[in-house]
Amino acid sequence: MTVVVSGVGVVLPRARSAPELMAPVAEAPPVEPKDLVGRKGLRYKDRATQLAYCAADAALRHAGLLDDGGLRVPGGSIAVVASSNYGNLDTICRAIDTIAEQTAAAGSAMDLPNASSNVIASSVAIRFGLRGPNLMLCNGATSGLDAVHWAATLIRGGRASRALVLGVEPDNESVRAFTGGARTIDGAAALVVESGESAAERGASASAVLGDYVRGAGLGRTLERLARTAGDRPALWHLPEQRAAAVPDTLLEGVDRHDLAEVFGLGSGALGVLQCAAAVGWFAQGGAGPVYATAGTDADDASAGLALHGRAGA
Amino acid sequence: MSWAVTGMGAVAGVGGDVDELFHNLCAGRSGVAELRGFDHALHTAHHAYEVDNRPAPGVDVTRRATGLLLDAVGQAVRDAGLDESDLSGVPVLVGTGLRELRSVELWRTQGAEFPAAELHFGTALREAFQADDTHTLSNACSAGLYALALGVDLLAQGADTVVVAGVDVLTETMYGLLERVQPVPPTRVRPFDRDRDGVLMGEGAAAVVLSRVPGGRPVHGLVRDVAVNCDAFHVTAPDPAGIAEAIREAHSRGGVKPADIDLLMVHGTGTLLNDEAEATALADVFGPDRDKPLVTATKSMTGHTSGASGLLNLVVTLRCLAEGRVPPTVGLDDPVDEAEGFRFVTGEAAHRPLTVAQLNAFGFGGINAVAILEAAR
Repeated sequence: MTVVVSGVGVVLPRARSAPELMAPVAEAPPVEPKDLVGRKGLRYKDRATQLAYCAADAALRHAGLLDDGGLRVPGGSIAVVASSNYGNLDTICRAIDTIAEQTAAAGSAMDLPNASSNVIASSVAIRFGLRGPNLMLCNGATSGLDAVHWAATLIRGGRASRALVLGVEPDNESVRAFTGGARTIDGAAALVVESGESAAERGASASAVLGDYVRGAGLGRTLERLARTAGDRPALWHLPEQRAAAVPDTLLEGVDRHDLAEVFGLGSGALGVLQCAAAVGWFAQGGAGPVYATAGTDADDASAGLALHGRAGA
Repeated sequence: MSWAVTGMGAVAGVGGDVDELFHNLCAGRSGVAELRGFDHALHTAHHAYEVDNRPAPGVDVTRRATGLLLDAVGQAVRDAGLDESDLSGVPVLVGTGLRELRSVELWRTQGAEFPAAELHFGTALREAFQADDTHTLSNACSAGLYALALGVDLLAQGADTVVVAGVDVLTETMYGLLERVQPVPPTRVRPFDRDRDGVLMGEGAAAVVLSRVPGGRPVHGLVRDVAVNCDAFHVTAPDPAGIAEAIREAHSRGGVKPADIDLLMVHGTGTLLNDEAEATALADVFGPDRDKPLVTATKSMTGHTSGASGLLNLVVTLRCLAEGRVPPTVGLDDPVDEAEGFRFVTGEAAHRPLTVAQLNAFGFGGINAVAILEAAR
C-alpha cells in the first residue's frame, strides 16, 4: 500500500510553511498560539499542547480535512500519532516543586491530565474530534521518524484511513535545565499521512510519498540498510542531531546535507517530523528525490531512517 | 488469525514473576501497604501498591521503572527461548504512562543525576539486550494494550517475533494530583463496589513475546486481536459510548460474540467515573449475555499500575485460561447498580473451564484498548 503525505503544518518562529524549513526567515518572535488558533481552549494547556493545536490545525486544513465547518471526514477515520520527549516536563517540574514546598494539597487539579505524557495526542484528538487510534511516542532521538512509521503502520493495518502526525518540543526553563541549557525549537510540525487510495478518493493531492523506514544500531548501518531498501541514492540528506558525535564525512559522500537543528534548535522528538515536512517543502520547490530523513547518531541508543519521494517518484 | 504468546514475564507488588503473581492473586493477597517512596508529611493519602525494592524505607532512587522493565523483559525472552544477549532487530514495544518521570522528579528535588537519554527506555534496553528497535509509547493507562495492538500489526505485516511490555512506577506528581480529585484518600482499591473511594497507584511491569511461528516452543495462549480507539471526549473522564465502540470492534476483529466470552478481565480502577463508564459500556454491549462470562478486576490487589496494568492483566488472563482458575475481586462486597447482572468473582478464586477472554484497558484522554485472547489447546 502506498502511503502519501497529503497535508503539512509548520509552526516555528522562523518558519510557517514547509518551504521555509529549507529557507527560514530572519529572526522572529516566539510563536503565539492565540494568534493562530484563538484563545478558546488554550487555558490550562501546556505550551507543547498549544503548539500542537496550531500545527494540527494547519495540517488538517492543508490536507482538506478541516474547514470552518469542522471535519470533512468521519473523526474515526483519523488517527493521531504525536511525538515529544520534553512535552510535559514543565508540568512535572512545577507540580513537584509545589508538592515539595507546600504539600500535595496545594497542587492544581487542572495539572492532573498534563502530568500524563500522552496529553498532547489526546488533547489534539479532543479539540478536533479525531476518534481513531491515538498514540504518543516519547522515544528519544528517533521519536519523530518512529511516529511517521507508526502512522504508516496503522494505515497499512487498516486501523485508520489517515493519520495526523505531530512533532513538538517546547522551550521553557524546565526543559533548558534538564537538557543542560539547550534551546529547543519551541514549535511544532504536523503531517497528514494517508493511503494513496484514500487521498485519491477524496481528490487530495499528495505532496510526497513515504518510502522505506529502517531502524537499528548506528547511523552508518542504518544508512546502508536504507540504501539497500530504497534503491536510489538520495538527492538530499537530513542529518540527525549531532550532539557529541559528529556525522563522518565518509557517509553518503557528495550528497547535499541539511541540518535543521543548526537553524531551529534542538528538535529532539519533533526532529523527524520536521525533516519530513522539510522534504515536502523541498519537493514543492522542484527538488527531485529521494530525500533521506535520519535521526539518532552512534551516541544514541539507535538510529532511524526514512526515505521520502516526490510525487514523480511514486 | 491468532498470534502465539511464547514468553511471559511479570513483576508487581504481589509477585516477582508470573507464577508468584498468579498464585498470590488467586489466593486473594493484596499488595497494598503504607506508602514507601514519598514523605508522608507531604500527602494526605498514605497507601500504595509498590514494589518493595528501594534501598531503605523512604529512600527513593532513579531508574526504578527501567529496572522493573528489564526484569520483566528478561523473564519473557528467557521463557521464549530467545537469546537475551542479542535482541537486535527484534521490535520491543514498551507501553508506559509515566516513563522515567519519577527520575525527573528526583533530579528536580534532590539533584539526582539523570540524563535525558534515559527518559525513554531504549537506552537501557540497548545496554541490557542489544535491542535496537525499541519504542517507548506513552499512552497513559491503556499503554500496555496499545503496544499489544501495534505488536499484532507488526506480525500481520511480516515480523516474526515482537516483544511487548508495559511498565510504571509511582510518580509523586501523579500520586499527589490524584489526591486533589478524590474527596477521601483511599486506603485500598475496591473496583465496582458501592463504597469505593477511588484509585491508588501501583507499580509493576509485564512483558510477552509474540511469535508468528512458535517453532515448537510452549504456547501460553493466543492473542486473537486488539481494538484501539479514542473517545475524543474529555482529558480525564471516560465516555461509555467510546468504550462500547472499542469493545464491539474487538469482538469484530477477534471473530467473537458476547456469548462467546468466558472471562472478562476488566479495567476496574475503583474510581467513581471509570467503573460506572466501564460497567455501562459492558452492559450495553453484552445485553442479555452479561451473566455468561466470569468477571474480575486485579487492581483490587495490584493497585493501578498504569501502563503496566494491561499487560499484567494479559499474563494473568492467559494463566486463567490455561488453568481454568480466576482470581477474585478483593473488596467488592456490594456492586454498583451499573454492574448488576454481571458474574463478578468475589471471595475465593473461581474454577471453570475457559476458552476465550476479553481484556479492557482505558487511559486518560479516552484512549481505549480491548483485546481478545484465546486459550492454547
